[in-house]
Amino acid sequence: MSYAYLFKYIIIGDTGVGKSCLLLQFTDKRFQPVHDLTIGVEFGARMITIDNKPIKLQIWDTAGQESFRSITRSYYRGAAGALLVYDITRRETFNHLASWLEDARQHANANMTIMLIGNKCDLAHRRAVSTEEGQQFAKEHGLIFMEASAKTAQNVEEAFINTAATIYKKIQDGVFDVSNESYGIKVGYGGIPGPAGGRDGSSSQAGGCCS
Amino acid sequence: MAPEARFVEEPVIGDELIHQGLGGLLFWGDDSALDEDSHVERLLDRISNGVLADDRRSAMTQLQQVVAESSSAQLAFGAMGFPVLLSVLKEESDDDEMIRGALETLVSALTPIDTVMGQKNEIRPATMNSDLLSRESESIPLLLSLLSEDDFYIRYYTLQLLTALLTHSPNRLQEAILSTPRGITRLMDMLMDREVIRNEALLLLTYLTREAEEIQKIVVFEGAFEKIFSIIKEEGGSDGGVVVQDCIELLNNLIRNNASNQMLLKETIGFEPLISILKLHRGSAYNFTQQKTINLVHALETVDVLLMGGPEGEPTRDANRLSNQAAFAQNRILDHLLMLGAESQWAPVTVRCKALRCIGSLVIKNSQNCDAVASKLVGEEPHAEPALNAILRIILRTSISQEFTAANYVFKCFCEKNADGQAMLASAMTQPNSISQRNLQDDGTLSFGSMLLQALVTIEKNEELEVLQVKLDAAMTPLGSPEPLLHRLVKYVAFAASTKTKDNDQTNTNGSRDGSYIQPIILQLLVTWLADCPNAVCCFLDAPSHLTYILDLISGSHACVFARGLASLILGICVLHNNSNENGRDSFAIVDAISQKIGLTSYFAKFDELQKIFKSHFSTSAPVKLPTRSSSASMLDSEEVENDGLDPMQGSPVLAAIIDPTFVNFVRRLEGEIREKVVDTYSRTRNQDAAVPAELEQRNGEVDRDYIARLKSFLEKQCHDMQDLLTRNATLAEELVRTAGSGALEAITEKPSSGRERLQSEALRHELHGAARQLETLKVQKAKIEEEAGYYRNMTGKLEADLKSLSDAYNSLEQDNYRLESEVKSLRKGGNSPHYDLEAIKAEARDEAQKESEVELNDLLVCLGQEQSKVEKLSTRLVELGEDVDKLLEGIGDDAGLPDEEDDGGD
Repeated sequence: MSYAYLFKYIIIGDTGVGKSCLLLQFTDKRFQPVHDLTIGVEFGARMITIDNKPIKLQIWDTAGQESFRSITRSYYRGAAGALLVYDITRRETFNHLASWLEDARQHANANMTIMLIGNKCDLAHRRAVSTEEGQQFAKEHGLIFMEASAKTAQNVEEAFINTAATIYKKIQDGVFDVSNESYGIKVGYGGIPGPAGGRDGSSSQAGGCCS
Repeated sequence: MAPEARFVEEPVIGDELIHQGLGGLLFWGDDSALDEDSHVERLLDRISNGVLADDRRSAMTQLQQVVAESSSAQLAFGAMGFPVLLSVLKEESDDDEMIRGALETLVSALTPIDTVMGQKNEIRPATMNSDLLSRESESIPLLLSLLSEDDFYIRYYTLQLLTALLTHSPNRLQEAILSTPRGITRLMDMLMDREVIRNEALLLLTYLTREAEEIQKIVVFEGAFEKIFSIIKEEGGSDGGVVVQDCIELLNNLIRNNASNQMLLKETIGFEPLISILKLHRGSAYNFTQQKTINLVHALETVDVLLMGGPEGEPTRDANRLSNQAAFAQNRILDHLLMLGAESQWAPVTVRCKALRCIGSLVIKNSQNCDAVASKLVGEEPHAEPALNAILRIILRTSISQEFTAANYVFKCFCEKNADGQAMLASAMTQPNSISQRNLQDDGTLSFGSMLLQALVTIEKNEELEVLQVKLDAAMTPLGSPEPLLHRLVKYVAFAASTKTKDNDQTNTNGSRDGSYIQPIILQLLVTWLADCPNAVCCFLDAPSHLTYILDLISGSHACVFARGLASLILGICVLHNNSNENGRDSFAIVDAISQKIGLTSYFAKFDELQKIFKSHFSTSAPVKLPTRSSSASMLDSEEVENDGLDPMQGSPVLAAIIDPTFVNFVRRLEGEIREKVVDTYSRTRNQDAAVPAELEQRNGEVDRDYIARLKSFLEKQCHDMQDLLTRNATLAEELVRTAGSGALEAITEKPSSGRERLQSEALRHELHGAARQLETLKVQKAKIEEEAGYYRNMTGKLEADLKSLSDAYNSLEQDNYRLESEVKSLRKGGNSPHYDLEAIKAEARDEAQKESEVELNDLLVCLGQEQSKVEKLSTRLVELGEDVDKLLEGIGDDAGLPDEEDDGGD
C-alpha cells in the first residue's frame, strides 16, 4: 500500500472510443471486445514505478455520453492527469476533441497533464484520422500524443506511464504544491519525495512519446 | 402566489374572502395572521428598497426573528420573500452582514416550528418554503458559491440551509449539486474547515450520500476516505464523540452499495485505518460509554458491509468478497473481533453480537480464514482456549437470544463448504455430548444448548453429502452410550415439549430464554439428517414409538405450526427415503399410518402452512434498515424489541435466524418429492412385482406340480394385495367424503387437494378393475388346470394300482422262487442217497396207487352190480308193462335211463 506519490487520472472522450477498454487493459491486462456502456464513472487502480519510486495511479474512467457530462465534470478539478481518447476509425470523435479540451481547461486545474490517445490503431485498414493529424492537434494544444490499441495492448502501458512520468517531472520541477491535494497528487509514506530522486531522473520506462 | 400577493396589497377588502378561500387550504394560525402578513411585507419592502444600510440590516434582523417564531410569518415569507433575499445574496456579496442575515432568515424560514403539530393534512410552512427555494434554479449554485466566502457564519448558515433543503427535497438538491461544477468539491473542502463547519458538512454529506451513487463516487474521488479517517483519528477513534459516529455513517453510506468505492478504499487506503477504530486502547477497554458503543457498532457495520463484497447481484461480488476477506485477515482483524465478540467481558451485547457476525462474515466460504479461526486461541496464556470453544461457550451459556443467534451464525458460516472444519467439530462433538447427557436430568437448559449446537453443526454438515457417513458413524457411537444419537434426539423433542408445558404452568421463572424454539430446531435437525439418508431413516424407524410420537405431534395441538410442519416433513422423508422391506416399517405402512391417523389432506395442509411461514418470514425480514444518527441512539435497546415484534415464529428470534434460504429451498424440493412419492406409493402394490403375463405361463421344464404351487402362491399374493388396496381405497374414500363435507365450507382452499384425492382414487379404482379382471382370468385358468390335474391324478392312481399288482405278482414270484430255491438247496443237501429211496418211493407210490385203484375198482364193480340188478328188476317190470325193453335199452349206451324214470313217474 505504500507509495511515494499518488496520481489521480481521468479518462475522457466520446462514447465508444474505448476508454473503459484502455483502463481494463492497463489494470487487468485483458481485453473485452464487448464492453457495457459506462454509467457515470468507474474506478481502477494500479501501481507503477517511475524513477525507482512506487507510484499509485487512481484512474477514473468516465462515461462518454453527453447526458453524463455534468457528473463527469466533477472529476476534472481533482485530477493530475487526463487521457483524452479518440477513435482513429471514427472521424467525428477526433472532431470533438476541441470541445473536450475546452471542457477540461474550464473545469480542471491549469497544470493538469493531458495525454491525447488515438485508440484502435490495430484497425489500420479502417483508419479515418491520420497519425499526423493527431500529432498536429497535440502540438497545437500542448498535449502528449500517442496512438494505442486497447485490443493489442500496444502503447497502453506507455500512455499511462508516460503521463505519470510527465507529472513526476513537473513535481521535480516544482510546478506543483504537492501539499495541496486539489491538484490530484498526494505524497505517500512509502517513498521519500523531494530532491533525493534527482532532477534529471526521468522515467526509465519513458519512450515512444510523440509530443 | 398571485392571489395572495393581490390580497396583501389590499388587506382590508379581502378579510372574509381570504378566510374562505384559503382557510381550507392553508393553516391560518389566528387573527394576527393578517398583521404578520403585512408586517413581513413591510420588512421585505424595507430590505429591497431601503436606502440606509443600517435600516436594511435591522429590517433583516427583525424579519429573521418573526420568521423564526411564527409559522404564519413563514408562510407569508414563502409567498413573497425568496426573490428579495436571493437578490441580496446575489448582488451584495461585499456586505457580509446582510448576507449573513439573509441566510439566517432563510434557515429560519425552512426550520419547522413545533407548535403547530397536530393536524396532519395541513401544509407545513417550512416544507413548503424548502420546496419553493429548491425550485429556484439559481438558488443551489448560488448557495454553493457562498461556501467559498471567508466569513465563517456565511459558510455555517449556508451549510445549514443546504442541509435543511436536503432533508425536505433530497432528489432535487442532489441533482442541483451534481449539475453544479465543483459543487461537491466545495462541500468536500468544508471537511477541512473549522470544527463547527466541518461537523455541519459531515452531516450534509451524510444526507447527500445516502442514496445517490454518483455523488458517493465523486465524494470519494475528492478524497473523502482520507478525510474521514483523519477526522476519526483526530477525534480519538472509538472513544470520540458523535462526530466519529457521523464520520462512520458517512463512510457506510459511501461503501454500502458501491463496489467501486469499496475497491478504491481497499486499493488506496486499505482497511488498516478502519481496523484501528476497533482497537481497544489500554485503559479504555473496560469503559464502554453509549457513544463508544454506537461508534463501535457502526464501525463493525462497515466491516460487515465490506466483507459482504458489494451489493447483491453484482457479478464481481464473490471475487470482491474473497479479496476483502483476505485483506481484512492480513490486517489481523480477527484479534480485534474476537476481543470484542468473545473475550471482553465489558463489551455491550450489541457490540459483541456485531463482532460475532463479522467473524462469521470473515470466514464464510473462505477456507484460509476458516483455518485461521480454527487455530486461534483467546485469553491470557494460562487460561488460553481455542476461539471456537469460547464462541461455543457463548452459545451454551448466553441468556440473550441475539447473542445466541450471532454466535450461531459464526458456526454456520464456519461450517459452510468446510468439510475439514465440519470433521473437526464432529470429532469434538463427543465431549460436550457426554456433558449434556449427564446434565440432562438436572439442568435441561445447558444440555439443550449443547444439543442445539450439535443440531446446528449437523445441519450444516448434512448439506455436504460426502460427510454424511462420518456423521452417521459419529452419531451411532456416542461416547460410552449404545443408544443411537438419533433416538436420543427424538427423546429430546419429547422432552422439549414437556418442559414447555411445564414452563407454561409455572409462568416461566427465568424468562430470559424460552424453550419454544428447541423443539423445532431438533425437528429441523431430524429433517436434514434423515433426508437422502435411508440408513438414518432405518435407524429412526427402529423404535416403533418414534413413528407414533411423530404422528401424535402432527395431529396434536400442543406443538406450534412450524414444529408440526417439520414433523410432517420427517414422516414424508420416512416415506421417501425408505429402503426397508420389513412389515410395518416400509413406506406403505407409513403412508397408511398417515392416511389413517392424520388424513392425507390435512397432512399436505401442514406443508402449505410451513410454506406460509417461510413466506411471511422472508417478507418481513427482507428490508434492511439503514442506521441513522437519529435512530442510532435508541438502536442499542430497540434492536431486540424490533426483532421480537417482527418475528412470525411465535416470538422467537432464534428461529428467525435459523431459517435460512438454503433450508427453505431444501424444504421446497423435499415437499415436491414427498408428494410425488406418496402418490407413487398409492399407485403401486406392496410387493412391487406386478403380474407379468409371461410369468404366468408354465416355464420350460417346470414340473406341473411346481407350476401349480407357484401359481397358487401368486394368487395368494394377489389376493393380499387386493385386500390391501381395498382397505386403502376405503380410507381414501372416507377421506374423500370428509374432504367433500368440509369442502362445502372452504371450497376454495380444499378443492385442489380433494381433486388430487379423487384422481388418486380414480387411479386406484382403475387398478382395482385391472386386478379383478386379472383375477377372473386367473380363476378360469386355475379351474382348467385343476381339471387337468384331476385327470392326471386319476391316471396316476390307476397306473399306481397296476404297478402295485405287478409288483405284488413279482413279489410272490420272487417268494416262490426263493422257496423253490431253498427247497432245491435242501434237496441238494440230502442228495447223497436218493436212488433207492426214489425207487422205494416210486414202488410205494405205485403200490399205493394200485391199492387205491383196486379199491376204487371194487367199489365201481359193486356199484355196477347194483346197477345191473336194478336194470334187471326194471326190465322185468317193463316187460310186465308191455314195453319193448330191448328197444328202450337200445339208446342206453349214450343216454342215462332218466327219461325212462320220468315216463315211469308220468304213468
